[in-house]
Amino acid sequence: MLTKLLSSQKTIYHIILFFSFSLTVNYFVELKIVNFIAYVLFHLTLIYFIFYFFHFTLYFIFFLYGVLFDIYLINNMGPHIISFLIFLTAFQFLKKFLLNFSSFKISYIIIIIVFIMFVIESFISRILYNYPINYNDLGLLFLISVLMFLPSLYMFSKIDKL
Amino acid sequence: MALSFKVKAISRSKFLKNLSLSIIFLLSFLLILFSKSDYVIVNKFKSISNSYLHPITSFVAAPIKLASNIKSQISDFKNLKTENHILKEEIMRLKKWQTLAIQNTKENRVFKKLLNSTDNSLSLVKTASLISRNDFMYGKMININAGLKDGILNQMAVINHRGLLGRTIETSIETSKVMLLTDPNSSIAVKTIFNENFSLLQGADDGIHLVSIFKKGEQTPKIGDLVVTSGTAQIFPSDILVGKIVKASKDRYYVLPFVDFKNIEYVQVVESK
Repeated sequence: MLTKLLSSQKTIYHIILFFSFSLTVNYFVELKIVNFIAYVLFHLTLIYFIFYFFHFTLYFIFFLYGVLFDIYLINNMGPHIISFLIFLTAFQFLKKFLLNFSSFKISYIIIIIVFIMFVIESFISRILYNYPINYNDLGLLFLISVLMFLPSLYMFSKIDKL
Repeated sequence: MALSFKVKAISRSKFLKNLSLSIIFLLSFLLILFSKSDYVIVNKFKSISNSYLHPITSFVAAPIKLASNIKSQISDFKNLKTENHILKEEIMRLKKWQTLAIQNTKENRVFKKLLNSTDNSLSLVKTASLISRNDFMYGKMININAGLKDGILNQMAVINHRGLLGRTIETSIETSKVMLLTDPNSSIAVKTIFNENFSLLQGADDGIHLVSIFKKGEQTPKIGDLVVTSGTAQIFPSDILVGKIVKASKDRYYVLPFVDFKNIEYVQVVESK
């Protein structure tokens, strides 16, 4: 039963999501880069998950992750919940159109969405809670996303073949 | 019969989906609204999630935390010789100051008796250790292992041996969340030691300095002036060391806090006597 559960792709993606969430919310002073990598991995997994495993229950899961990210990183609700739910809803409406693209194009759409998500999160936290947009951090997130993009997609494709 | 049952089942499931989606969106909206208005339910929700989820996330992140600690220890070890030399010089300097301080303490005691003055020094509520940090990207916050059971309440000042660190913003039974001075949403009423210029400071955009957002009077403080809490906002007790002015312009000045926010291990939660 447990082996069957663990061999399911969805379960593996959920484990990746929770693992990267845990690493993001625990700040490591000497290894700050790990926090950035985990944050990027979470977003990449999240978008990939929406594209290839879309289900109604994702609304609940992403709502929960949004709330927890907001509590841990901002101590207020808003930026992550809004951005996660916006993209989930947008995908539901554009699903038929987006899934017609080739997997090559979809992978580029994923990275573009991740970039937009980072900007939207920073922007909303600026508007709602006066947190300044840190361009250095944002730039580092973009750089890490570009560097992690292909390896993570390779990993995801391997998981999909399980 | 079968067809009608199928149609009903589909419409019911669609109705349930729409209903639960509406609930999620409504709940998100309410959470944001309550969060903006500091409603008590949201604070309760925050403290519950913090105390229950934190041990799990810490367990998952434990190997990386260990690696981070090892890296920090290695860099400490590398700097051992230089630090040792600096400390020797510091000890010599402090010994001279100690003699002077003892004399001053005696004098102060006598003067206080003569003036019949009240002692407004701090009273320690609890010494706590750091359990985790949440100062990645947006907010600058830390969690400490003392909470309501130790007498800690919201809006209490938190210090360490170097000076003011921040204030408690959320307390659960066993843990508390501390907003550091460097958080852009923190606000401290301060004064300069030299000429008692009163102003308000908040975390600067760089996450390292504090910047003045309001200044009483026209006088611009000088670079190198020491800044202490003024005690006017009644959250922080007065005369706790905050930092040193490192940059000053006509309308604002920047303060470098004395506390090394990268190396926080133990903190003291204090209140005015």
